[in-house]
Amino acid sequence: MPIKLDANGPVMKDFHSENRCTWCDGCGNYGIWTGVKSALTELGIAPDQCLLCFDVGCHGNGSDKLKGYRFHGLHGRVLPFAAGAKLANPKLPVIAFGGDGASFSEGIGHLVHAVRSHYPITFVLHNNGNYGLTTGQSSSLTPQGQIMNTAPNSMPEMTLNSMDFIFSLEPTFVARAFSGDIKQVTSVLKEAIRHRGFAFVDILQACPTYNKFATHTMLLEKYYKVEDENHDTSDFKKARALAIDTSQRIATGILYRNENVPNFYERLVPRQGKTTTPVEEVEKFDVTELMRDFL
Amino acid sequence: MNRVSLKIVGSSGQGLDSMGDIVAKALKRSGYCVFGYREYPSLIKGGHASFQLDASNQKIESTETKVNVVIAFNHHVLEKNIPDLKPGGILIHSTPNWKFPTADQKLIDRLSLSIVYLPVEEILTKLGAKPVLTNVLLTAFVWAMLGQNIDTLKKMVGERFAKKKDLLDLNMRCIDEGSRLQKEHKLSVAMPKPKKEWEKCLMIPGSKAMGLGTVHAGVRVYAGYPMTPSSPLLSYIADIQNRTGMVIKQAEDEITAAQFVSGAMLMGTRALTGTSGGGFDLMSETVSLNAIIENPTVFVLAQRPGPATGLPTWTGQGDLLMAIGTSHGEFARCVMSVSNAEDSFYLVNDAFNIAEKYQISVILMTDKQTMEALYTEKPYDLTKIVIDRGSLVTDPAKLKKLKSTDRYDPNAKDGISPRWLPGAKAATYVAQGDEHNAEGSVDESADNAVQQMNKRMRKQDALKTALPEPELYRVESGKLKVESADWSPDVLLIGWGSTKSVVLDVLKSSGLTTQNSKLSIGYLHFTYLWPLKTEKFEKLTKTAKKTILIEGNFQGQLGVLLRQETGIKIHDRILKYDGRPFFYDELLNLISKHLS
Repeated sequence: MPIKLDANGPVMKDFHSENRCTWCDGCGNYGIWTGVKSALTELGIAPDQCLLCFDVGCHGNGSDKLKGYRFHGLHGRVLPFAAGAKLANPKLPVIAFGGDGASFSEGIGHLVHAVRSHYPITFVLHNNGNYGLTTGQSSSLTPQGQIMNTAPNSMPEMTLNSMDFIFSLEPTFVARAFSGDIKQVTSVLKEAIRHRGFAFVDILQACPTYNKFATHTMLLEKYYKVEDENHDTSDFKKARALAIDTSQRIATGILYRNENVPNFYERLVPRQGKTTTPVEEVEKFDVTELMRDFL
Repeated sequence: MNRVSLKIVGSSGQGLDSMGDIVAKALKRSGYCVFGYREYPSLIKGGHASFQLDASNQKIESTETKVNVVIAFNHHVLEKNIPDLKPGGILIHSTPNWKFPTADQKLIDRLSLSIVYLPVEEILTKLGAKPVLTNVLLTAFVWAMLGQNIDTLKKMVGERFAKKKDLLDLNMRCIDEGSRLQKEHKLSVAMPKPKKEWEKCLMIPGSKAMGLGTVHAGVRVYAGYPMTPSSPLLSYIADIQNRTGMVIKQAEDEITAAQFVSGAMLMGTRALTGTSGGGFDLMSETVSLNAIIENPTVFVLAQRPGPATGLPTWTGQGDLLMAIGTSHGEFARCVMSVSNAEDSFYLVNDAFNIAEKYQISVILMTDKQTMEALYTEKPYDLTKIVIDRGSLVTDPAKLKKLKSTDRYDPNAKDGISPRWLPGAKAATYVAQGDEHNAEGSVDESADNAVQQMNKRMRKQDALKTALPEPELYRVESGKLKVESADWSPDVLLIGWGSTKSVVLDVLKSSGLTTQNSKLSIGYLHFTYLWPLKTEKFEKLTKTAKKTILIEGNFQGQLGVLLRQETGIKIHDRILKYDGRPFFYDELLNLISKHLS
């Protein structure tokens, strides 16, 4: 179905950057990159109307391959930065991107508290099952038994079941997409950006250079769309079960969604009824009354 | 200077703080300048804690080691604190049938101390009051002993219990009873003549002054992780959030707090975080990130002695070199330090102005002493500060003209390029953590690396030029004044941070001036510690017969910096690193020793 765009709104070209992509041929990042630009365009969000925050990793090398207000930070730390930015100006859509290495090792604490805090931001997990940029070490999401850089005997640690972990945190929006299906990435991202609070979007992507276990072909063959099978996205238990079990098929699409939980900003008592943002409020604050407490 | 001191001693959680707060404020309202100093161990209940109040009718910002009155909340005080009393001092306690060991009794006799036993438990039972009211009873007794008007105390307590009528009546009866008991005992302490000027002053700890300064400076977001002695700042700002409308985040760790405020600053608000040494270590990588993306940020670093957990509830000045050297890579930064509550109020805005003007991180240092001590200060002048957001572009017409490459333009004057905010209708850019070109795109070429490094470091030069030289203080016929560098003292004292308060009290003391009447003494105080202005120091130290460094650390860290920048080594050093601040009488003796 063709998407009707606002005649005065942004077009894909507005996001175009002359910087050439540096990802390997066949990298899943190309699909996600295109999906992000499409989703923003279709939502009518122009490059100067959003903040895109990138963690460090192969995906982060995309920070200067599209237009938009962008930030490229430290490894593992993208979520609290994005959250602080969003709460300073809740009117601006904020999307954070991170890989499975950063998000499930160095920055896993931030991920836990971002879900728990229910910040109104979108988090896109570039899930390629390994540390690509640092040349193929195992991440906590790499399946056991794989021979990886620094793990010639495969890693001794257990693999983390990322979806089981995420669902244990009682999230309000969980989706999964396949980077090879740009249309799906686009539609899932659009809904994630529209979500009231913290949206977790796991995008399975190929890493043709280092990931020999979840290849593009394997993902293509195993993924299916839950909306095709009448999945009820309000069914938490079912969504969790679908998300966790990837042995035969991989469930993708919006798995769980709950729009009834107020987000972090909405829960802040001092912000009730305020129409301005903290960015707009920077001016001398009269502390006469507060000073009286000390007389 | 005529000063009187009382020390309330007991276990943490026994109500020492509320008694200290009440007496301090009531004394202030009665016309005294009061300085409050707390010592406590790192635990919730128990241990040996104290709250000391030093009062005078003149400006006072220091603590003496010996006091006129000790108020004992338990029997451990009777075992430990007799030596804290001055000759003729008074100890008030409520431990029945206490017998002092011979050594203590000898000391009591030699110092002619008065030991007062009050049957507090019995009295409270008679009044139908719970043991928590011990502090009210004792407060009233002490208050009467100081010869003060009991109505002032009643008014204060009335304000505290305005909403709890039944408790209020009981409190009032305790006050009457305490006052009556004092008349029985006929003990009194001579207070200096009160002065009106103190009555309208604030009685405020440095942490809350800093909180007020934060709110006043237009800071709208605060994120922090609890760690003494930065916690009182977080608590205060959180407590008043419904009156300020601020966004408050108790973060999951210090890295989060640092990243959170960095994101908020990039978006364009003013956001602050505060921590202590260990937490700051965790924040340091974020400081480096802000350097390359040229994101203005302010970090409050409230010092306590390390290494590691060290002395968590004590004070020190051991983190100066850490602040100046923090994090990887070479970059411009500003390190400055408050010295008392007044500074804590005004310097927050100054820190943000510098951060925004130069698009750098500012580390605003304080310590446990400043954060938790109680100061008597004039209400802050709310016309004084000016919010300066530097080269922030918000005008739509100007925004329209901006190019992406303006954001990190390497040719910008003083390296300070225009800054505009996400969401602005303008060309976009990347706040890029990798070395980048003028628009923030990654650029690893040799030429670009040099250009961008030069751009960022030029800001350091511009800041150094703009910063004021350290302040030179002098006391002339009992009055404190700030001198120009034309005046060259015989003795030059050098310090920074909370040391200033006690140094100035010592300078004002007749003890020092009579003893060394032939010597003129000046104190050079460094508020801005990096970049370090040294012209005044070099000039004054050349003509001074003696230069003495006074610092609360082992290495004499400011001395290390001064030597690094000027080659001048300060040989006379008074260094303290036992977790305690310099005490008035202690520092007076130490300086005198260096002068004799």
